[in-house]
Amino acid sequence: MPTAFTVEQVDKTRVSRRRATFFSLIFLLTALAAWFMADLLWQGPFTLARVADLPLLILFTILFAHVATGFCTALLGLYVINRGDTARISRTLRDDESLEKLPLGSTAIVMPVFNEDPSRIFEGLRAIYQSLEQTGRLDEFDFFILSDSNDPNRWIQEEVAWAELCKQLNGFGRIFYRKRRISLNKKSGNVADFLRRWGSSYRYMVVLDADSIMTGESIVKLVAMMERNPTVGILQTAPRVVNGVTLYSRLQQFASRLYGPLFLAGLNYWHQGESNFWGHNAVIRVAPFMEHAALPELPGREPFGGRILSHDFVEAALLRRAGWKVWLAHDLEGSFEEGPPTLIDAAKRDRRWCQGNLQHSWLLTAKNLHPVNRFHLFQGIMGYVSSPIWLLFMLVSTLRLFARVEDGTVDPARYIMIFDHVVPVPQALALFGLTMTLIFLPKVLSVGLVLKHGRAAAYGGRVRLVLSALLETIASTLLAPINMMFHSKFVTYILLGQGVNWVTQQRTASDDPDWREAIITHSGQTLFGLVWGASAYILAPAFFWWLSPVLLGLVLSAPLSILLSRAGLGRRARELGLFLTPDETEPAPVLTQLEQNLEECYKHMLPIRELRRDFGLMQAILDPYVNAVHVSLLRQRRPGSYSVRRYFVELRRRLLADGPDKLTTREKMALLLDPESMNWLHEQLWKLPADQLSPWWRLAMRQYNVLTATPVTALYR
Amino acid sequence: MEQPLDTLNAFRPRTGTPDQWNAAFIRVEDYLRAHRVHNRLQQITIIEKVIARAAARHAQNPTLDPTTLAAEEIDRMMDEWFGELLGDKNLPHERIAVEGRVALLLTEGVERWPYAFLDEKQVPPEFAEEMRRRSIQAGPDMTVTSMVPRPIELGALTEVAGQTFEQIEKWPILRVILLWALFISALGLVFYATR
Repeated sequence: MPTAFTVEQVDKTRVSRRRATFFSLIFLLTALAAWFMADLLWQGPFTLARVADLPLLILFTILFAHVATGFCTALLGLYVINRGDTARISRTLRDDESLEKLPLGSTAIVMPVFNEDPSRIFEGLRAIYQSLEQTGRLDEFDFFILSDSNDPNRWIQEEVAWAELCKQLNGFGRIFYRKRRISLNKKSGNVADFLRRWGSSYRYMVVLDADSIMTGESIVKLVAMMERNPTVGILQTAPRVVNGVTLYSRLQQFASRLYGPLFLAGLNYWHQGESNFWGHNAVIRVAPFMEHAALPELPGREPFGGRILSHDFVEAALLRRAGWKVWLAHDLEGSFEEGPPTLIDAAKRDRRWCQGNLQHSWLLTAKNLHPVNRFHLFQGIMGYVSSPIWLLFMLVSTLRLFARVEDGTVDPARYIMIFDHVVPVPQALALFGLTMTLIFLPKVLSVGLVLKHGRAAAYGGRVRLVLSALLETIASTLLAPINMMFHSKFVTYILLGQGVNWVTQQRTASDDPDWREAIITHSGQTLFGLVWGASAYILAPAFFWWLSPVLLGLVLSAPLSILLSRAGLGRRARELGLFLTPDETEPAPVLTQLEQNLEECYKHMLPIRELRRDFGLMQAILDPYVNAVHVSLLRQRRPGSYSVRRYFVELRRRLLADGPDKLTTREKMALLLDPESMNWLHEQLWKLPADQLSPWWRLAMRQYNVLTATPVTALYR
Repeated sequence: MEQPLDTLNAFRPRTGTPDQWNAAFIRVEDYLRAHRVHNRLQQITIIEKVIARAAARHAQNPTLDPTTLAAEEIDRMMDEWFGELLGDKNLPHERIAVEGRVALLLTEGVERWPYAFLDEKQVPPEFAEEMRRRSIQAGPDMTVTSMVPRPIELGALTEVAGQTFEQIEKWPILRVILLWALFISALGLVFYATR
């Protein structure tokens, strides 16, 4: 069947023209701003001492170029949204083509997981599976849950949930579960392990995250686009952020939904066949990926060198280097993901991403990479490095001001100040205005676009849309300096080869945020803001007021973080119609189904407190069915050496006689990985008289199926 | 046909204390519930059979614990039953027990055929058929291939930087000196900038 468009039709000259426009715009804006800034810094007679202001100009120019890149992307996005972009990969499929007839190839849908909530993983998978079933194209797909979970509870819950899901959907032979014994190279190693085992059986693989959701229609269309465009190696969708509960996550999802389309259309305008891979919600052509995208080792050791942590950008660059195209299906509907529920959780994620992106510095000058891929890598680095640059710029400005106040060349009380300089107001305001325009205009344009296209109702109506955008702007202004401090810390620590400590680990949306964690995490930022603000106020109150938006965010970081973490406030905002998105007001059936299923899941009774900590281990030993499923999923091993066997015998004895509290997580994992031990433990637990078992096991045996006809330990639902 | 009461009352373990047999009874009951056998009548029937077999063994060797004997007996009964159903009686205990329980889970045998569990004489043919068909498959057949990174030239400058970096990592004292030098330079810069 003839198609409307293939990527082969993309004219190279036109792509070059687009890129020339994009980079020229950035250059022009940056040059203009740098000229303004230089003029501000060096008004009056030039002296050698004023060369000291040069670093200020350099820092400003770098920062402005970074802001201008985002602005130009949005501006070009606006242009193509209004004019229509013919060079979109989604045009490969015609609107009148039915899903049943689209050309597909054998596809594996892979979901690497690592200690995530099993209910969310498997209910998400259920929704995707059923949505694909409705398209009538399920036969072309296999599903793989690739587990690297090292928490015994999570692991057993995953197995239980997998077996139950397969049973309910009749999915045995189509939905597979693989747990790695040794988790090498994190997520990229997990996917590479899948590819080595089963990759050659599939033409494509759709990579999902544990919190991804895609409709069957979007998956079918994605694969069909790959079939129609045989030179495309990776096709990335633009997942929408959904299911936010806390105020923080609702703000993020609102911002991404409202402002995202402008930026995404702009990205496609200049990326074209050299787009990027974001690690999930994308389809990959398996054979070239296996041949060209295995990750090289970097010089030195982690955190800056060693194995590449953020694999996606590099994989896109390596595939492009081998001649395969990477496209962004930015306007494909039905691709979703979830965001972190709190500011601190977002910072924890950023810590990982920061390390991964800084590692990319090694690849900036690597041979044969496409210049656009180099730019992607550079942008990724700048996403984090711009924070310490911003901080340095502010600090240098402050220090220069202090120096000027001290030598008496400035009387701050009589003038309005821009950083450390007494300047005529109009010129300073022009520069300030230009910077603010670049930062805030894309937001205004996005709101305007929604209003123009009559889509305000999907965001809660005109008034609520504008009010939500205003509140989001205030919140993001306050959050920007907090993130600047976080990122500056991450960059510094990584460059020094250090890790960052956190108070506690990940949590889910809650009405009772952890004050202790927030106070300890933000105390440095608060103190920094207070000292900085007080110094500025004492020396130059006028400068203090210029700094106040930044200082306010820092000083209020802890209460702000707690306030935004509250699920109750998030729910209240939703009731008031604030921060609504079309994915909430007109939700895709797949999202509604997921929400309903999860509600049902979380109604289940929790195990009693005494048993909760080792519930997974308990199920795997006590429950005949869970034990059988677990053992049958373990790889049978040859008996180890005498000392190894002795080690296991001793562990088993300790587990039954002393209870799981006396074993380390590593010892529990060792037992769970050993089929002989698991068989033995199940048998012995039921055979031994009560007085030979620890009180913990006696309690477990009596409690575990007393309360309900279908015990909570069981393969429920 | 109704069973006379005197038959039900006839069984009494001849050895062991009532407490020991009570504990054995509870253990078997718990084990049946763990298999989701919640039908009380069925539970009692099976428990009586198990306890009778355990009591016979206990009479021969009263030093053994009735709970252990009862657990062994129900395991043995299940192995025999699974062996019949799955059509392979010669598998070792561990294998037959695991395969049998997996098949029972996947067929939802206990729920769908409530009286079939451990019944040797009246197993519904469709239940037996489904038990034989069911097996668990965690992954498809493997077709192992290699995925090896291709060499990548980082560029002359980066190569040199990388070698230096690796060299510095081998000399921790040098690294510390460099870091301190960096810190002192920063302080010096601040000092200069504020003068």
